[in-house]
Amino acid sequence: MSIMEYNGGSVIAMVGKDCVAIASDLRLGNQALGISSNFQKIFPVTDRIYLGLPGLATDVTTLRETFRYRVNMYTIKEEREIEPETFAHLVSSTLYERRFGPYFIEPVMAGLSKSATSGFKPFIAATDLIGCLNFAKDFVVAGTASSKLYGVAEGLWEPDLEPDQLFETISQTMLNAVDRDAYSGWGVVVHVIEKDKVTTRTLKGRMD
Amino acid sequence: METSFAITGKGYVIVASDTTAARSIVKMKTDEDKIKVVSPHLLMSYSGEPGDTLQFAEYVERNLRLFHIRNNYSLRPSAAASWIRRSLAQSLRSRKPYSVNLMLGGFDVTADTPHLYWIDYLGTMTEVPFGAHGYGSYFALSLLDRYHDPEATLEEGLVTLKRCIDEVAKRLVVSPGKYKIKVVDKDGAREIEM
Amino acid sequence: MSRRYDSRTTIFSPEGRLYQIEYAMEAISHAGTVLGVLAKDGVVLAAEKKVTGKLLDLSGAKEGGYGGSGEKIFLLNSNVIGGVAGLTADANSLINYARSAAQQHLLQYNEDIPVELLAQRLCDMKQGYTQYGGLRPFGVSLLYAGYDQHYQFQLYHSDPSGNYSGWKATCIGANNGTAQSLLKQEYKDDIEVKAAISLVLKTMSKTMDSTTLGSEKLEFAVITLDPETKLPKAKIYKPDEIDELLQAEGLAKKEDDNAMKS
Repeated sequence: MSIMEYNGGSVIAMVGKDCVAIASDLRLGNQALGISSNFQKIFPVTDRIYLGLPGLATDVTTLRETFRYRVNMYTIKEEREIEPETFAHLVSSTLYERRFGPYFIEPVMAGLSKSATSGFKPFIAATDLIGCLNFAKDFVVAGTASSKLYGVAEGLWEPDLEPDQLFETISQTMLNAVDRDAYSGWGVVVHVIEKDKVTTRTLKGRMD
Repeated sequence: METSFAITGKGYVIVASDTTAARSIVKMKTDEDKIKVVSPHLLMSYSGEPGDTLQFAEYVERNLRLFHIRNNYSLRPSAAASWIRRSLAQSLRSRKPYSVNLMLGGFDVTADTPHLYWIDYLGTMTEVPFGAHGYGSYFALSLLDRYHDPEATLEEGLVTLKRCIDEVAKRLVVSPGKYKIKVVDKDGAREIEM
Repeated sequence: MSRRYDSRTTIFSPEGRLYQIEYAMEAISHAGTVLGVLAKDGVVLAAEKKVTGKLLDLSGAKEGGYGGSGEKIFLLNSNVIGGVAGLTADANSLINYARSAAQQHLLQYNEDIPVELLAQRLCDMKQGYTQYGGLRPFGVSLLYAGYDQHYQFQLYHSDPSGNYSGWKATCIGANNGTAQSLLKQEYKDDIEVKAAISLVLKTMSKTMDSTTLGSEKLEFAVITLDPETKLPKAKIYKPDEIDELLQAEGLAKKEDDNAMKS
């Protein structure tokens, strides 16, 4: 038994045209036993950045609180909101602080970054449990269903999806991948981030 | 083996825990109270490594009491739960972690709502409509999936709880004999005889 | 003679007084006025700005930040706004302290800090500076306007000695006596935010030295409950929003004054 699979759970983020989406399942388990069907793993960081934390559930809560604290302190000191690129490095260094006794979390983040010339630019990134950053241009996955998510996303994703198409793509990817994973599932939550709004939907899926 | 259940209903939380204190295969005691009233509207059942359990429960109880004395009001259930979870999560990465599993049932008097938190020794915490720890959880959770009603009255809630206790007594090889049952609602915490 | 008991904050005078504290309070009574009114469904704060002038660069206040021009009224946490009177430099360090104390509480208990607890945190620190040798007390009084689930809307005042108290309406800084007697006459127990805003602006206009009110002399903030989320919503007005409000309340300058400004 790996500690990364103890509680189960998966997260995926995808890039669209002037938008990004991030989705996770809602299960919290103790190995095969399901405990909760409403365990959120994705948290808003600012109005335009969302962070997914799949992995050991105790560290999901701990890191969520740590990042909220650090981002708030950043906002107070800088008197402005953090940008996704900056936040990605905050995530990376926070995890690397525990290089030899890590948090068992593989974060995934999605957001829109302010570009000097043309409004907002989609941004997604993921790190491993010690904070090695991976900036992707298409999609990033993590969690117990990550291997299945790769397969489905590879087949369904295409460039320049509009927000509603992106929602459909990420939802289908998530729903189908978690059906093949015993440790993920029990509902899915999807956030689609656009420049002026965030749409959050909860999907039922197979509740078994 | 140690078992505890808790269920929420309309304006209350019921917490039940077995009363055995075992050392290895021997029952040392069968009337041990493993549910603490940690603040006026907060119940905490604890199970796990003997010694750690009582030590940690008293640590929580005294700290919540200290907060009450200093500030003249009690922490709300959600705030207390977050604090307790944090204590366990910090302990997990210390030299000698507490190995204690908790069910935390409380009534938030500021919002008039009952809350139930499932917490394990790793510091995993989640708010649930019903929950269980120990071997009994394998039987009770599926029963509660079928019979739990968040709008049930206290009497109906107790009937559902009785189902769980009876099922565990019937099917679990190492089932505990007696249970202590406590309930918390807007009037505070109290024990209930069954 | 009194000199002997002046130089150190830790020493009582023979009459049992701490002169340094009294001097700090004196400094505050010359500072820009800050006025707070507690209503049934919110709290209103207003403050008089002292640092003004044509050449002052206020571009920072126009965009970004939490709103306001950052001289007198600050967001301490999502549920508390603070108004300061006294030495600006001392106030800034207290505000930093308050903000990190609020974040520490959020981290530890996963809830916004109750207003009184935040006032207590700051007062613990302020009191410390009246006792430990070689240090000067903070020359700052604060008003805390906030909301929490335990006592709903609240308004507190704290002074350099580390005393704090809750109020329905109060005032610190220059002319606070005049303002307080005005408030005493006008305040009603079941006042609502809308009426409280008028009361605050009316009282401000009577206590301030200048004859007309305008965004270059005034900071303004309101904390209410968001009707949808039921969570506290702190709003610190931006300069043009203040002018708009004054216009609506009929307290704005005459048109030709505005022309002169631009």
